[in-house]
Amino acid sequence: MASNTKYHPRQSLTFNMAPMIDVVFLLIIFFVLVSTFASAERIPLELPDPDHSQALNTKLTDRVIINVRLIDPDAPETSPVAYSIGPTRPEPLAEIAERLMLHKRAVPRLKVVVRADRRVRYGDVREVMQIVAENGIEMMNIVAHVGDAGGE
Amino acid sequence: MPPSIGSGTDSPVVHFRPRRKRAPRELTRLTLNLAPMVDVVFLLLIFFIATTTFKRAEGILPAQFPRQGSAASEVALPITPIVVRVVQTGPGPTDYSINVENFVDQPTTFIELSAFLKQVRENPGFDDETPVVIRTAPDVAWDHVVGCWNAAVRAACKHVSFGLD
Repeated sequence: MASNTKYHPRQSLTFNMAPMIDVVFLLIIFFVLVSTFASAERIPLELPDPDHSQALNTKLTDRVIINVRLIDPDAPETSPVAYSIGPTRPEPLAEIAERLMLHKRAVPRLKVVVRADRRVRYGDVREVMQIVAENGIEMMNIVAHVGDAGGE
Repeated sequence: MPPSIGSGTDSPVVHFRPRRKRAPRELTRLTLNLAPMVDVVFLLLIFFIATTTFKRAEGILPAQFPRQGSAASEVALPITPIVVRVVQTGPGPTDYSINVENFVDQPTTFIELSAFLKQVRENPGFDDETPVVIRTAPDVAWDHVVGCWNAAVRAACKHVSFGLD
């Protein structure tokens, strides 16, 4: 007597990893492309963000970054400021001026990049400008956020 | 009748043994072990997800100081600079006022200042070479000074400098 039940061949249940690997690789390639590892010289600061910023995202060679930041960011009105060259510990301006002089001797075409917190007083940045000018450095660059159009 | 091997007394005895049949090898399937690759890929993915912080790009606004000890300018005629003053009127980011010396109409924002400077440079006695001096008090927030500088750069002013009130 023939049975009515049809014969179903046994199928092995497998996990198809190909789409998952596709997506994972896609994510990795995305992150590898968009990641620019933060330079230790650029300490986290609240930078100026002018309307229609003309700041250009250019890479300068032979440059020294001077960071000007608030010691107490919660009280910007009263907070004193700290100056540092790149990622180093805060230093008095006199020491920074001395180091700048040594840099200038080694690299005559030295450029200075001033990264100042947007909330610091102009007078505090002005002191940096003075030591830069006293060392005979003609090129000084101010750091600001790049505009939405990438420098317009 | 030919002598058979091993039948003589002086001939060497050779024992013939048939080769043993090897046991049939089990068929092994050559597969690619994906597990270590997936481990590494996930590790990389987790690393990037954990360490990536999206932040706005920063750029530079170039500035040039006058050369120290350089010879006097060959331009004989005195050039009247455009002096822009920024005054802080409060703690907020928009609490400032702008004053351009010797002009009646005044811009109120940095966007207006940019258009204003472009317009001024078209007047007789002013041109692209006319210096722009940003003169502010020491207690003005750096943000406003940079806003003013940016407006002058946007207006294509060639000589922009800082001053102190």
